[in-house]
This record gives sequence, C-alpha cells and structure tokens, in this order.
Amino acid sequence: MTLNRRVILTAAACFAGAFALAGGSPALAQYPDKGLTLIVPYGAGGGTDITARLLAKDLEGVLGKPVTVQNIAGGGGWTGWGTLASAKPDGYTIGYLNVPAIYAGYLDPKLGRKETLESFTPIINHVIDHVVLTVKADSKFKTLKDMVDEAKAKPNTVSITAHGVGGDEHLAILAIEAATGAKFRVVQNKSTPESKSQALGGHVQVLASNVSEIATEVKAGDLRVLGVMSEEPSGFLPGAPTFKSQGFNILASNSRGIATPAGLPKDVEQKLVAALEKVILSKDHQQKAETLFLEPRVIRGADYAKFLKDNEQDIKKLMNW
Amino acid sequence: MEVLSVIADVLTPAHLLAMLAGVVGGLCIGALPGLTSNLGVALLLPVTFGMDPISALIMLTSLYAAAIYAGSFPAILLHTPGTSASAATAIDGFALTRKGEFNKAIRIATFSSVCGGVFSALMLLVIAPPLSLLSLKFGPPEYFMLAVFGLTIIGTLASGNMIKGLMSGAAGLAISTVGLDLDSGFPRFAFGSTDLQGGIGFVPAVIGLFSLSQALLMCEEPHRTIQQVKVTAGGQWRLFPTRDEIRQIRATVMRSSLIGGFIGILPGAGGDIGSWAAYNEAKRFSRNDPDFGKGSIRGVAASESANNATTGSAMVPLLTLGIPGSPTAAILLGALIIHGLQPGRTLFTVHAHFTYTVIVGFLLANLVMGFIGMGLGRYMGVVARLPNSILIAVVVVLSVVGAFSLGNNMYDVYTMMAFGLLGYLMRKGNFSPAPMVLGMILGPMAEQGFRQSVILADGPVVLHLLGSPISITLAALSLLSIVSAGYLEFKRTKAARAAG
Repeated sequence: MTLNRRVILTAAACFAGAFALAGGSPALAQYPDKGLTLIVPYGAGGGTDITARLLAKDLEGVLGKPVTVQNIAGGGGWTGWGTLASAKPDGYTIGYLNVPAIYAGYLDPKLGRKETLESFTPIINHVIDHVVLTVKADSKFKTLKDMVDEAKAKPNTVSITAHGVGGDEHLAILAIEAATGAKFRVVQNKSTPESKSQALGGHVQVLASNVSEIATEVKAGDLRVLGVMSEEPSGFLPGAPTFKSQGFNILASNSRGIATPAGLPKDVEQKLVAALEKVILSKDHQQKAETLFLEPRVIRGADYAKFLKDNEQDIKKLMNW
Repeated sequence: MEVLSVIADVLTPAHLLAMLAGVVGGLCIGALPGLTSNLGVALLLPVTFGMDPISALIMLTSLYAAAIYAGSFPAILLHTPGTSASAATAIDGFALTRKGEFNKAIRIATFSSVCGGVFSALMLLVIAPPLSLLSLKFGPPEYFMLAVFGLTIIGTLASGNMIKGLMSGAAGLAISTVGLDLDSGFPRFAFGSTDLQGGIGFVPAVIGLFSLSQALLMCEEPHRTIQQVKVTAGGQWRLFPTRDEIRQIRATVMRSSLIGGFIGILPGAGGDIGSWAAYNEAKRFSRNDPDFGKGSIRGVAASESANNATTGSAMVPLLTLGIPGSPTAAILLGALIIHGLQPGRTLFTVHAHFTYTVIVGFLLANLVMGFIGMGLGRYMGVVARLPNSILIAVVVVLSVVGAFSLGNNMYDVYTMMAFGLLGYLMRKGNFSPAPMVLGMILGPMAEQGFRQSVILADGPVVLHLLGSPISITLAALSLLSIVSAGYLEFKRTKAARAAG
C-alpha cells in the first residue's frame, strides 16, 4: 500500500518534472501548492454532497493540501456547473459532474444553457449507482416480464415513479418503453423518499430509483426487486435479477465524476487523475463508499470524456432533444 | 433491565458531551436568521464521521431540536425568524417584546418548545411503528386535500382584512409556480434565466418578508428602540411560567403538539407547515382573546410547541421506513447510513439498544436546551433596548449572510432583497406577509398532489381525489373552515357597522 502510493507519487512527480523541464509553466511545477475547492452543484447533506465530503477528506491525504467542499446549489445544478465552467482552469477548482442530470440544461432547447460538455475537462468518474425497479412485497408483479406484459396489454395503466424530466429514472422508463412497446403512467416526484412512501403505501405500483436508495428496504423485505439495470448483478442486492438476465438488454444508471473547467494544462490534469484514481481505488475509500451502497467506478481522462459523450447521445435520442 | 441499560448509556460522559455540543451548536445556528437546521445538521455531519454512532446521532438530533427552538429568539426579539419554522412566532412574540414583555415571550416559547419536543420524543419512543403506517396512507389525493385544508387557514389568518389576506395568499401561490414544471420539465416564468428555472427559494423569501422588511421599517425610526415601554411586572425574568400562564396556554400547547406531531410524520410537510397550522387552530380557539395576533402568549405557544413537535415525529417515518419526514430528517438519513445503520424495523429489534438510546438522548436534549435557552434568554432582552440604528445593521448583515449560506449563490440574496422590499411595502399597506408564505409552502404540495391524482385516476378525477376516508375528512374540514371563517368575518363586519 505505502509502496504503491510512493511509486505513484514518484511517477507523478517525474511526469511533472519532465513537463516543467519541457517548457511547461514553472508556476505550475509544484501543483498543488495551495488548497483546492471542490464544487458540489447541490445543497449540503444530499447524496452528491455526502460522497463529495468522503472524497475531499481522502484527497487531502493524498495531495497534502486542504480540499474544501463548496455547495453551490440552484438551477437544477447549473448554478454550480456554470460557476465551475467559468472558473480558472488551474486545477485548484474542481467539481462534480452528475450524469444524466447535467444534460437537460443545455440539450433541452427550452432551457438553453450556453455551456456544453466542451466547457469542462473531464478528469475521472467516481461512483455509479444503477437504476432498479422494485415493487411492494405483496405486488402482483412477480417478474419484470409480468410488469412489461401488463404495461403492453393495458397501456397507460401501470404506474411508476420518476424524479425529474430527463433524470435517470425517467430515461430508464423511456428506454423500456422504446424497447418493449410498453406504456407507463409516469408519476414525477421531487425526491426518492416521496416515491418510496407512495410505493410502500400502494399509491403507485412500481418504484424506479437507484440501488443505493432502496437496498435497505429490499433487505428488510418491504420491497422486492423486479430488475437491476446493470450489466452485472449488484453486490448490494444479493440474488436480485438484472434486466439482462431476464432478456431485456437495457442499462440505466446515475454517475458522478470529477471535472475542471476546460483548458486545464495537461500536466495538472495528469496529476489530478493520478491523485483521484489513487483515492478512489484505495481499500479504505471503497469500504466507505460501500456503506453508502455506492459502487466506485474509475473511468479516466479520455475514456471519461467518451463516456460523457456516449451518454449525451443516448439522452438526445430518448428525449428527442 | 433493558430500560436501565439504555438510560445508563445515555448518561455516559461521551454521550452527554455530544448532546451538549449539539444543543449549543443548535442554539447558535437557530438563533442566527437564515442559518437553518438543515445547514447545521449538514455541516456537523462530517464532524461525526469519526464518532461512535450513538454519540453522532444524539449530537445531530440535539442540534435539530435546539435549532428549531432557538429560531424563536430572534423572531420574538427582532421579528426576524431564526428558522423559517418560527415565522408564525414572530407575530405575537414580537408584539410582546414591544410591550416590554420579552422575557415572558421567551419563557412561553421555551416552555412550549420543550413540551412539543418531549411530546414528539415520546411519540417516537412509544408508538413509532404504527404511526409510520399512517404516513403511508397519504398518497397524492390526500396531500392535495391536506394542502387545500392548509390554504383555508388563510381565511382565519386574514380575518379583519379578508380581501388583502386573500390577495397576499394568491400572490404566494402564483410565486410558487415559478421554475421547472416537475411533470413536463417546462420552465415556467423563467425568462431564460437558469436561476429562475430552479424556482424562487422559500427560505430566502421568508427571510426577506420577515427580517429585511423589519430592518426597513426600523429605518423609519433609527433612534428609537424596539421596546418602547418599561419592562412590565409580567415581563420580569423567571425560569418557569407562572401558574396562571400555564393555565392560559395548557390547551393550546396540547393541541399544537398534536398538530405538529401529526404534520411531522408526513414526508412532504415539516416545521413550517406545522407551526402555521397550529397557529391558525389556536386563533380559531382563541376567539375571545382580543390580544391574539397582537401579543398573545397563546400565539407564541401554538407555533413553538408545534414546530418542535415536528422534530421528533419527522423521525418516525425516518427510523421505521427510511422515509424522512422533513428536509432535516433527510440529512439524518444520510447520517444513519454512514454510520452503518439501516433504517427500518431492524432499528427497533436488532438495534433496539441503539435506537432507544438515541431517542432517550433526544428527549433529554429537549430538556437541556430549555434550561440553557432560559439561561441565555435572561441576557438577551438587552437587544430590545438597543437603538434601531445598531440593530438595522445587524439584521441586514445576518439576512444577507443567511440567504447566501443556503446555496452559496447571490441569486438567493437577490431573492431575499426583493422580498424584503415587497414585505416592507406590504406591511406599509396593511397586507400581512403570512398568507403569502403559506401560499408559497402549500402551492407546490397542492399542485403536485393534484397533477399526480390526474395521472393516477382511472375514472373521474374528483372521485379519485375523494377516494379515501382521509381525503373525505380533509375535504369536510376545509369546507367547515371556509364557512366558519366567512361567518365570523360577516359577524365581525356587522358588529363593526353597528358600533360605528
């Protein structure tokens, strides 16, 4: 562990040194020489905020400089993303990108943000949380197929929750409709707890949410999983079937990663990627994420940029934006 | 045996220290206008990462209770509610301060907050599991009917000035429609602004309408003080309310604790709605109290016992179902999970020792906060005798800082300022800001409940809306409330005409 850390640090230092010698800006040679600000585009205490505070604490340990979480809430996240995009690209301001929440703001012509993905330098993905469909324990739907069959036979009768137009659950529902020809009654709520209480109270039939939000209720036997929209079965829901295992090849998730403003110097980018990767892959950090039912998933630099772009294309198609 | 071990565990130094820290932190957060209980719990959450789960949860829940209680201090002292749940307290509490009875108001607020808090802790301790099932009975039609019933409160709040009250309430409803439409994602009244797409914040609006508008009013008389008479005999400091005071507020405290306790278990409603609903009922029951709304201890007692009663009851669905009953409880949910505790029935079986220790700790914290609060209250009355010119600066700074701290953006500050100016003009023109605040809270609840009912209804929507005993009861109560408000207003104008 210690050796590993040292090797990476040394490697990173060599890289930085090489870049500095090769004519890189000397001011950046010792990045980081001061504290970092980590922008969270939502309020304190929410899901993104809690993961951010875990990350910030561990990142401090690796960088040796303070990392301050700054919650900039409002505008469905865009007040924070706007601030991030317009910050100085020096590596001292980093922030969370939430997929798919970030897309609506600039893809939906009604909303019209001028920033796009190109306004950011994607650094690394941090966690992924798959969409899962659950029902109350005594529901008549025993399998995913039961639900899809009924929603096909009697369109617009099966009710299902979602949290915002263009949100991950909504996109998942649209993808299921597109793939199967089913049609649902979509009940939009502001937050998952509201949806959970509607599902447990029998007011809606199917709860669409993320794995982390229902793992407890599934374990307690109050909710039953119809299908997880991930490639592999979820470690947090032992024995729960995936969509894929039931013959429906549909994936959906919500993920959070780190980005900086566009135009970040290459050497700083590499240092940040290395430091964050080290944090996210550390055993200690993985364990902490696990208690939150979150799956750390490292997707680095160019791959992360491609991941963001692919998701953008998917949502464009589903939402007709 | 089990009971004794729980009590012994609560009384260990580590847990008592955590409680004390939570109470003191909560008193500070609550007493500063704009710093909400959500913010306090969220800020303290990372601090608890390294603690044992019991200490962590005792600290966070103590902070929650103390913050909601301490919100009454500036509401009474300066007409600037420390948290939005204390907005209703400002009406009678501030009037009492002007009459030189600040200490009396604080004493009543403390007594009522402690009663409400202890009541809700007992609810949590004794009947949490069955109560949580009641909260599940509330679906979209029930929420719609509850919001409609809440809106009929405007009729009572506005009595004496019905037209202006209804206008203020309607404006509040209209303001609540700004922002992204949840169902279609359409930006309503946003005019291309990302800020407006996110809607108009409720908390900055309350800070503006109550706090900043008060500073603007004080600007008119910079050399005067809030308290313009000598401290009355009843306004002297004492730890406990007099027997006579308790007799006056006894029924109000019990009724308001019940109302707050009930509102708290509903996921969509917290201390804001609880305190207004209780204030309204107190007003209805205090028909013969000429002081109500102008410095009645019943008004203070109603709002304060109800908002503290929502703190414990908001944790009922949180602990039993993992569904938070208020925004602050949502952050407590994060705290439970981080400390490896899954909300649900196992909290009351496998982890019963943990759960009951936290609940008993929360109960004790409610008593501790009362004593500390009264101790501080003794010296706070000084503020009411400071010249306005000093207080104006303090209130303006706290309003700006409070609004900014909500989301670290200037938009909330501008919202607060706009509502400050609006509130000033309204109060000059005899429009009460209270109905507007109610409209802003209940508008989204009514709209969401109605539109979800439309989506879920199989036949006519009306039948779906009145499809359960709960919604029929709420509809009947609404009707009764409207008719009684109309009748009282009719009688009042007739009496006024006969007298004039």
